[in-house]
Amino acid sequence: MVGLLLKDFINLKRYLKIFGFYALIYGFLAFTQKDASYFTSIFTILFSILTLSSYSYDEMAKWDIYALTMPVTREDIVRSKYSLMLLLSVLGCAFSILFTIVLNKLLGVENGVLELEACFIVVAAIAFFYAIVIPIITKLGVEKARFISFAVYMIPFGIAFIIKQAAEAGKIQIPTRIVELIHLAMQYRRILIPVILVVALWISYQITIQIYRKKEF
Amino acid sequence: MKKSSPFPISNTESAIAINNVVKQYDNFKLDHISFQVPRGTIMGFVGENGAGKTTTIKAILDLIAIDEGEIFLLGSNAGNLSKEKKASIGVVLDGSNLHDNLNIKNINLIMKQIYPNWEEGTFFSYIRKFHLPEKKIVKEFSRGMKMKLSIAIALSHQAKLLILDEATSGLDPMVRDEILDIFLEFMQDDEHTILLSSHIISDIEKIADYVTFIHKGNIVFSKNKDDLIYQHGMVRCKKEEVREIDKSYIVGVRENQFAAEVLIQNKDKFQRQYHNFKVERTSIEEIMLFISRGKEGF
Repeated sequence: MVGLLLKDFINLKRYLKIFGFYALIYGFLAFTQKDASYFTSIFTILFSILTLSSYSYDEMAKWDIYALTMPVTREDIVRSKYSLMLLLSVLGCAFSILFTIVLNKLLGVENGVLELEACFIVVAAIAFFYAIVIPIITKLGVEKARFISFAVYMIPFGIAFIIKQAAEAGKIQIPTRIVELIHLAMQYRRILIPVILVVALWISYQITIQIYRKKEF
Repeated sequence: MKKSSPFPISNTESAIAINNVVKQYDNFKLDHISFQVPRGTIMGFVGENGAGKTTTIKAILDLIAIDEGEIFLLGSNAGNLSKEKKASIGVVLDGSNLHDNLNIKNINLIMKQIYPNWEEGTFFSYIRKFHLPEKKIVKEFSRGMKMKLSIAIALSHQAKLLILDEATSGLDPMVRDEILDIFLEFMQDDEHTILLSSHIISDIEKIADYVTFIHKGNIVFSKNKDDLIYQHGMVRCKKEEVREIDKSYIVGVRENQFAAEVLIQNKDKFQRQYHNFKVERTSIEEIMLFISRGKEGF
């Protein structure tokens, strides 16, 4: 699996230059506006997008068919993609935090703990997104999956937005028990989010393995 | 319907054993195919485009699920190969399958992690032998260079079995010759085996010990190459003389306005029976052509 991850990192290293360029632009903006909050999640998101790119690269090269002739199992390939996604998200998070700390020091601002939590929430959201998307990519390929994944992710947000708007306009009344439940969930988010995430990733991984085992090339 | 294998060796003795394999697609079927590749030999796997060569190779490599039958690789079930066994199989597919922005050094680093038996020195010696540029990325390689790179990878991890799908097609004759020589060099070890699929029959004639001919998803023959050439012959005669030949000898007939070419089998027996016909030596290409066209009717 190390070889598969190495292959992905070598393929993606060209993006480092682009990210370096982004760092300069955002760094400049942070300085001019005396606010480093831009950095809180930007690298986490940028890094996480690379997982999708790694799927595109593999598809373009028809890599999987070749990799499966090597001492690599189908499970290894699936595992390497989940590992890559988590590694990239954590790396992105680490970069974001590092840049924010450096910029905050330079700007003389102190709010590190808040940004750390924001960063972890972004990592969790990204991992949850991929928990839904990876099985779809495995089944349909990255191109078809791109649109479907977008829809899968946007529909709940859209519904939530419509409900919120309707509630604010007084058209519907959200039951108080649900509001209480949401407040309770927010209170225990530091336990709930990791638990939900681990369960979601485990289910997603099991589904992907089943899809990939049956895949024909 | 089940068909028996022409080779009397066991599944574990042969490098590759395919027994009554069926794979059904909407418009194509591998129809109960059976053949074996004895260890220490080169098997040429021939057939027209779309005959089923690549599908068979995919089945051998467990890249597709077969509907019926069984496949053994180096004595083990192909669907259940250990990583150790997989590491001793070198595969070259029809295309490079390597990412465009990798260079030779990147590929060496990756393969070193993937193959436990990777030989860096051997890999770079092939890279030099094939004159492959170490600093260029795969995207800048020609098709020939990509093929050579795949072959260099396949030969750099102590493979005992090489499975090559159209590894020489699309290459110029000089490069093809160079690559065929490398394969012959690989065969210096008695334990080494090659399955070489190609529609370039001259390559097969040059290096193969055995030839398996697939036509429309069926194995037409799987035989020793020399026996095939020895047992068949070409008779050139007048059209009306064809009727004199016993049909059991005739594999196929090609006629023009006045004359006919008749591919016959059981050459020795034929020559003893018919002294008035001159039997000429034939080639694998002609045998294949006559058999496949004979099946469809001349």
